[in-house]
Amino acid sequence: MNDEIRKSVRRVDAVAKASGLAKYISDYDFGDILYARLVRSTRPRAKILSVTVPELPEGYYYVDYRDIPEKGKNRIQMIKDDWKVFAEDEVRYVGETIALLIGPDRERILNILSEIKIFYEDREPAYTIEEALACKGGAMVGDDNIYGEYNLVKGDPDTAFNNAARVVEGTYRTGFQEHLYMEPQGMVGTWEGGRVNIYASAQCPYYIQKSVSSALGVDGKNVRIKQVTTGGAFGGKEHFPDVIAVPLAVAVNKIKKPIELIFDRIEDISYTCKRHPSRITIKTALDKENNITGMDIDTVINGGGYESSTLIVLQRALLHGIGVYNIPNAHVRGRAVATNTFPSDAYRGFGAPQGLYAIEMHMSQVAKEVGMFPADFKRKYFIKNGDMTITNATMKDNVKLEEMFAAADEMSDYTRKIREYENDPYRGIGISFVNHGGGFTGNGEQEIIKGLVRMKRTGENRAALYVSNVEMGQGLQTVLRKIAAKELGLKYTDIEYDNPDTDIVPDSGPTVASRSTMVVGYLIQECAKKLKGKWDEGVGAEAEHRYIHPSEYKWDQDTLQGDAYPTYGWGINVVEVEMDTVTYEVKTTGIWSVFDVGIPMDDTIMDGQVSGGVIQGLGYASIEKCEVLDGRFRQHTMADYVIPTSMDFPEIKNKFIDNPYKYGPSGAKGAGELVFDAAAPAYADAVQQLTGKNIYDIPVTPEMIMELEE
Amino acid sequence: MAKTSFILNGEEVSVEADPLKRLLDVLREDFEALGVKEGCGEGECGACSILLNGKLVNSCMIPLGAVEGADIVTPEGLRETEKGKVIIESFADTGAVQCGFCTPGMMMAAEALLEKNNNPEESEIREALSGNLCRCTGYDLIVKGVKTSAERGKDLW
Amino acid sequence: MVKSYRPDTLPEALKLMETRDMIPFAGGTDLMVKYQSWKGTLPGFPKDVLFLNYISSLKKIEVKGETLVIGAGVTLSDVADYPETPKVLRDAVLSIAAPGIRNIATLSGNICNASPAGDSICALYALDASVVLSKSGGNRECALPEFITGPGKTSLNSGELLTAVKIPLKKANVQEFRKVGTRKANALSKLSFSAVAEIKGDTVDGIALAFGAVGPTVIRSTELEKKLTGKTLEQIKLIQKDIMNDYSAMIVPIDDQRSTAAYRKQVALNLLKNFLESGLVQEMQ
Ligand SMILES: Cc1cc2nc3c(=O)[nH]c(=O)nc-3n(C[C@@H](O)[C@@H](O)[C@H](O)COP(=O)(O)OP(=O)(O)OC[C@H]3O[C@@H](n4cnc5c(N)ncnc54)[C@H](O)[C@@H]3O)c2cc1C
Ligand code: FES
Ligand code: FES
Repeated sequence: MNDEIRKSVRRVDAVAKASGLAKYISDYDFGDILYARLVRSTRPRAKILSVTVPELPEGYYYVDYRDIPEKGKNRIQMIKDDWKVFAEDEVRYVGETIALLIGPDRERILNILSEIKIFYEDREPAYTIEEALACKGGAMVGDDNIYGEYNLVKGDPDTAFNNAARVVEGTYRTGFQEHLYMEPQGMVGTWEGGRVNIYASAQCPYYIQKSVSSALGVDGKNVRIKQVTTGGAFGGKEHFPDVIAVPLAVAVNKIKKPIELIFDRIEDISYTCKRHPSRITIKTALDKENNITGMDIDTVINGGGYESSTLIVLQRALLHGIGVYNIPNAHVRGRAVATNTFPSDAYRGFGAPQGLYAIEMHMSQVAKEVGMFPADFKRKYFIKNGDMTITNATMKDNVKLEEMFAAADEMSDYTRKIREYENDPYRGIGISFVNHGGGFTGNGEQEIIKGLVRMKRTGENRAALYVSNVEMGQGLQTVLRKIAAKELGLKYTDIEYDNPDTDIVPDSGPTVASRSTMVVGYLIQECAKKLKGKWDEGVGAEAEHRYIHPSEYKWDQDTLQGDAYPTYGWGINVVEVEMDTVTYEVKTTGIWSVFDVGIPMDDTIMDGQVSGGVIQGLGYASIEKCEVLDGRFRQHTMADYVIPTSMDFPEIKNKFIDNPYKYGPSGAKGAGELVFDAAAPAYADAVQQLTGKNIYDIPVTPEMIMELEE
Repeated sequence: MAKTSFILNGEEVSVEADPLKRLLDVLREDFEALGVKEGCGEGECGACSILLNGKLVNSCMIPLGAVEGADIVTPEGLRETEKGKVIIESFADTGAVQCGFCTPGMMMAAEALLEKNNNPEESEIREALSGNLCRCTGYDLIVKGVKTSAERGKDLW
Repeated sequence: MVKSYRPDTLPEALKLMETRDMIPFAGGTDLMVKYQSWKGTLPGFPKDVLFLNYISSLKKIEVKGETLVIGAGVTLSDVADYPETPKVLRDAVLSIAAPGIRNIATLSGNICNASPAGDSICALYALDASVVLSKSGGNRECALPEFITGPGKTSLNSGELLTAVKIPLKKANVQEFRKVGTRKANALSKLSFSAVAEIKGDTVDGIALAFGAVGPTVIRSTELEKKLTGKTLEQIKLIQKDIMNDYSAMIVPIDDQRSTAAYRKQVALNLLKNFLESGLVQEMQ
């Protein structure tokens, strides 16, 4: 039934992009433009005593917190509005925005910038989770540096631990990860129609609108956001664009001229949000027969200088913290701490990769403790339909992990190889099992987003769709067209779908959380049905459809109990490696994956998602080291923050297992983040099997392997 | 300021600009060759790839003053040729394009490879693309795109 | 304002170098990174710039007698493609960056940049390469270890240009270059190792070993190499431990954003051990 929808079509944007015709933000000509450069904090934690700005030549502007309109607020409206548009009296991280310097000539701006003097009174900074918990230099947030804490309890973990025959424990750490989208952050603000307009490389036009309008103290309608072709994002253009759009809007509001704010690469790596580092301690209680009776997971993530969306990330880390397993008694605790590093924020997976990495490594290590191979042990605990989740609801998915494992095993020959490589010092093979909840956590789609889509008949055999979701490489402009076309009996190329403009499209929510195909796609499918009913009204006929939460999924946001997600995507990765025992360098020699994404909306697009996600995950696991030294990211050039090249990893062999989701368009579920999640634990597990030594931290560098081998 | 003349996409052109201006900026600003992208400005990403006297180079690494008399091809030129069309169509059909920011540069790297070797092995393709970073695709489908170009363009290269 | 010059001949270039303090510009792949500025602004060159790429006489690579002579305008790609290039150098050059950079970056630029992580330099040390330094008045030749004096430092005098690299083409049936980079391709070195040796029968007839990125300049010891020369495999086994200890004392790497001192040192010694135990053996057997 779904063969039609999954058949690959040529992406609508492919030819224009390949030939260099697609216009990204730096390709537009806005005529006489001014350039903006950020005046940034050079201190990780300090009081600002004073700022001296030289006398500015005609046509140059220094814009800071004093330029926020009276009705507005010096706050960026993200999930939490603690992040300031412009620092006033204190700074909490290196690179914090203090002002914008604006003018027509870039050389001159750089000269003026070098003459701006900022006087600070330094305070002792805290960079790591440990330093934050110890309140080094005195607490920066509250009296304990903790942005928030959650506790999830299932069954009776205390009794399980009291009665345990033995307890296995491990502490797992993951580092910062930079998105390294190929197109750096950038936007242009203009004054058109008596209001601020922002043209942005971004994932969430309505997020920007909300942040800008509240900072300016105007109605949302008085700010127009237009997304332009976006050169990759991966979560990096989810909230972070607000951090530059708002100061830019304040400047445009003051100067009333077009202003460009586009980052250089070094600026981009140095001064944008990264994935939250984590420290996760897991204890497992085993009975005499080596069965798991209980688990205790203590998760701490580093939120950096401001909270912004950190607690939502933390929630997702916790909700995925127990992985794909049914553990009878469990306690999952989570805290997010404040440090003096650049605020951490959304990155593909949004907390889930950290939680999944830790549980997968831990389960492999427990398997070793009880003398079993990882897959054999893990499979005993696979959650099934009807089992209780960590949030005390039943698992409503038809979980096909066993079928998926069989497919992965057949492709990779895992079961044979793991035995064969047991005493092989050169080769190893690792496996991981993950799931990823589709859409916003809990009832977020209903309570926070309330997505609305609109469609219109625009011609004899043509229709347009209006959504605020963006194409950023994931293929959305093609997939949503396919969904609409299928219902309307049209060709996908007969559907119009422009880059969203908040003047034109309704708010169908942000392009995040693997929700665009599954949630927005479903809205489009339902909306298209409505439009079909009105087709005879002729050209101009319109239909709208708003999100309705399926009543069988219940959620209590205060207690975090109930159906955390209506459905999950499921995944398995197998990674095979070889090690050079002279240099401790690891070479990946095989990658296999099996995913349940419901029904793939387009085989080629999904293959691209898989390959891109897995390789990004393997980078996270192996080479993407990002340390903090004196409050700055030590690897801040593209030469030093290294991502995989075409030669780092071999081709991936992938298979999809169909498992349609009834509220997904043609049965599709979210996939964009799932495809990232499984790679890091599979890689680390492979190295762990190879070396025979437990791996706790990623990235697993040759330096680390050398220490293990000593 | 000085005058620098070169051949751009088959046409003789000249420009009055500081010889130290990056060729990347000259091509984008003075010749509207917007298919030449800036991903890093430090020679690492390959988004600014062009052909200089038939060889793949990074235009962010080259000042205008170094290209007097040179023959330069950008994506704007390549896309008008039969070979360029084959690469673009092949990339589109194999799913080699996601966000697209790396793609014009990838096309230049593919052309540079196929000029030297019209029937490359997978390892040779990967080597030829190793200076062109892509964060979206994981490269598999780009490699396939290059293979497909070689097959479809057998008589061209 | 910074000016730039494009001489067509070497004498012209040397004359210009004599008259003012200028930055010689070869492929620019180090210079453009070093002086990179905000996009859309000019690179921040502090001095006038002398383009070397119009001087066709510098673009020659040729064998003269027993010596390979590589002009200062020869790119890394050209070095790699040249059939007479010794394997150790070819492998080193091909480990640098990616095709696009190798197509403009020069071998001489890699040398003059004098980075401890300059990959070709490690191989060139092992090959006993020297450089020709030219000035309006004449030329001088300088062995590589005398030319490179520290990280980013050379003994180039004002008014001088490096015009050629000379490599004696000695017999060497064992040539090995190993780079340990931050990733599999297009990567900067954590460390590198070069070995060049001539094995006759079961005896080492000549040997040169060089280590890159584990000290301020490439590490090579002719003294220790002498201890290995004339030895058979069995004899090497006997002194291997002492040799390793002696190298260990010379290898003094640092921690930086790419690797740790401990790793660099350990792996450098592992590579040496591996070479002594298997790289040499293969040829001997
Ligand atoms: C993305 C990227 C990756 C890289 N990867 C590597 C790598 O893996 N390994 C590695 O070793 N290097 C690497 N490099 C650096 C490498 O490209 C350079 O060292 C290159 O070889 C320098 O040659 P050039 O012609 O570009 O030098 P230029 O940049 O032109 O010059 C370098 C220096 O030498 C001086 N100079 C040049 N020629 C002469 C001359 N004839 N006489 C006197 N002085 C001169 C210049 O004034 C300058 O100080 C990389 C660079 C980039 C941009
Ligand atoms: S912009 Fe030139 S290589 Fe990245
Ligand atoms: S397609 Fe996005 S970087 Fe390659």
